[in-house]
Amino acid sequence: MTIVVAYKWASNPQDASVDAEGVVDWSRAKPALSEYDPVAIQVGRELATAIGSELVGVSVGTAAVNGSMAKKAAMSRGFDRGLVLAEDESADWNRTRVAQALAGLVRRIDGVDLVLTGDASIDENAKLVSALLAGHLGWPCLQDVTGVERTDDGWSIVQAVPGGTRTIAIAGPAVLAIASDAAQVKVPGMKDILAAGRKTVEAVTAADLEPSSVELAVAGRSRPAARARRNRIVADAAELVSALRADGLL
Amino acid sequence: MTTWIITTSNQIAGLVAMADRLGSPVTIVGVGIDVLPAADRVLTVPLTEGLPAEAAAPAVCAAVEARPGDAVLVPDRAGERVLAGALAARLGAPVLTGVVAVADGLFEIDRFGGIARERIRTDRPAVLVLPGGAELPGEQAAEPFDESAEPFAARITAETSDAEAGTDLSSAKRIVAVGRGFRAEADLGLARDLAASLDAELACSRPVAEGVGWLPKDSYVGVSGQTVKPDLYVAVGVSGQLQHMAGVREARTIVAINNDEHAPIFAHADYGVVGDLYEVLPALVTALGRGRDRGRDMR
Ligand SMILES: Cc1cc2nc3c(=O)[nH]c(=O)nc-3n(C[C@H](O)[C@H](O)[C@H](O)COP(=O)(O)OP(=O)(O)OC[C@H]3O[C@@H](n4cnc5c(N)ncnc54)[C@H](O)[C@@H]3O)c2cc1C
Ligand SMILES: Nc1ncnc2c1ncn2[C@@H]1O[C@H](COP(=O)(O)O)[C@@H](O)[C@H]1O
Repeated sequence: MTIVVAYKWASNPQDASVDAEGVVDWSRAKPALSEYDPVAIQVGRELATAIGSELVGVSVGTAAVNGSMAKKAAMSRGFDRGLVLAEDESADWNRTRVAQALAGLVRRIDGVDLVLTGDASIDENAKLVSALLAGHLGWPCLQDVTGVERTDDGWSIVQAVPGGTRTIAIAGPAVLAIASDAAQVKVPGMKDILAAGRKTVEAVTAADLEPSSVELAVAGRSRPAARARRNRIVADAAELVSALRADGLL
Repeated sequence: MTTWIITTSNQIAGLVAMADRLGSPVTIVGVGIDVLPAADRVLTVPLTEGLPAEAAAPAVCAAVEARPGDAVLVPDRAGERVLAGALAARLGAPVLTGVVAVADGLFEIDRFGGIARERIRTDRPAVLVLPGGAELPGEQAAEPFDESAEPFAARITAETSDAEAGTDLSSAKRIVAVGRGFRAEADLGLARDLAASLDAELACSRPVAEGVGWLPKDSYVGVSGQTVKPDLYVAVGVSGQLQHMAGVREARTIVAINNDEHAPIFAHADYGVVGDLYEVLPALVTALGRGRDRGRDMR
């Protein structure tokens, strides 16, 4: 029995800059575990411990995903081991292809019966890789998942839906996108970080996986014009009210 | 060429508007719903009792015979995203989000929370995940899609309806948005007072709704929350991260109240007050009240 969690090593676009041609410069943005992925890892760790399963991390990224920073950051969260595709060209892949590569990694791991992902990645914010990964694996997928338990033939899953929750029983393997508030994340301690250094993270190349033909061409780039703002700092509440009134807003 | 719409509800006004722009004949595929807006063709994939829409992915994949040049439009909701993913994986098709324009087979999309824009071409069908939009009236005219495609073995075993629903902010003229600058849930009273004196709706940043749960989950603004375009947006104790501001780009006037003069929000604001919200908000309510009394005197 094995539980897999897909984690992304990504930068916050808040720290990126974009030139007039629309080319994104990430050099000043520091990559990290995508903000909500530790929640999925935590849920995976607790479940794996409860049912005596192995917990394996998978990731598709540039060479940095196999660097010591990324390995420590991920493994210190409680994985038993990792399997990553670390190739710079993957930065240009569309998400259907990223998910296909993730499916390739999952297939190389024995006896996987559950794959978890985060809610949304910090750079793409698409909430789609879980769905695409399930599509490639031919498994069912649920998103906004706040709880998972093992049953005799599969999983009992609690899903947040508008206005409430529902519980869904799934027989067989599944891909679940974990809600950002499904668990309280523990910050790794010194012991976890030291232990992380001894865990193995195996790296494969694109050539090790089935070839993909999902292509998409970027025909042009631009930087969207931001609406001009006045950026006026006023002294206090009274001045603010006068200014808003002068603008006819009140 | 065909434009396909996959949906589990009639909240698809945004998709229908996009389909109009694309101009091809439209096929709507309703999942677990057979009263649907009119289109060139309307199919329904029935759900047996207790089956979640997500489990019908195999039937949806069979029903949507998309070819290169076709577009598949899917509302940005959990169930439909799963169906979109299953279909795109089967078609080997890209899934696009943040679509701002479509012309001559080129899709213009916002990337990374809107800091950059790309024009995309693909030789596959394109799957587009878009805001669903308002509810449209339906009529009972769907043809059942009955090709046998075994659903996934999933079944709804329980349901609760306890979560408080948030308000639809998309048409609000004034919004007061609260962030983690508030120290406790009870302190939101200060923001409620301000919202009352401005006749504004209350909204928040994501951690206020999802982290601490002080406001309903669907009342936050941003890339993964609501997109708003009020005349006046007053952000109180909100740092102004890109993921939040992406939902406020179209606001006419943005006001920021924050005690950190270096908070990113000030770069996105028309007016800023650098100060402690616990002092600024009561003063603001008083200043607004005074103005109102004066207005009344003059009448
Ligand atoms: C994939 C992803 C998607 C996301 N989507 C969204 C989204 O849709 N919407 C969203 O909002 N966020 C989203 N986020 C989170 C986002 O990145 C920020 O973390 C969040 O917006 C910060 O919320 P905040 O401004 O309330 O809190 P903080 O960043 O903690 O800011 C609090 C602010 O309050 C100020 N403050 C503190 N005390 C006072 C005081 N006494 N008086 C005045 N000011 C005070 C501080 O100076 C600070 O600027 C997303 C994140 C990820 C990773
Ligand atoms: N390149 C990747 N490698 C591993 N996991 C990923 C990758 N991209 C996305 N994911 C997972 O999918 C989730 C949703 O991402 P997204 O669809 O990009 O919003 C993330 O939180 C991750 O768990």
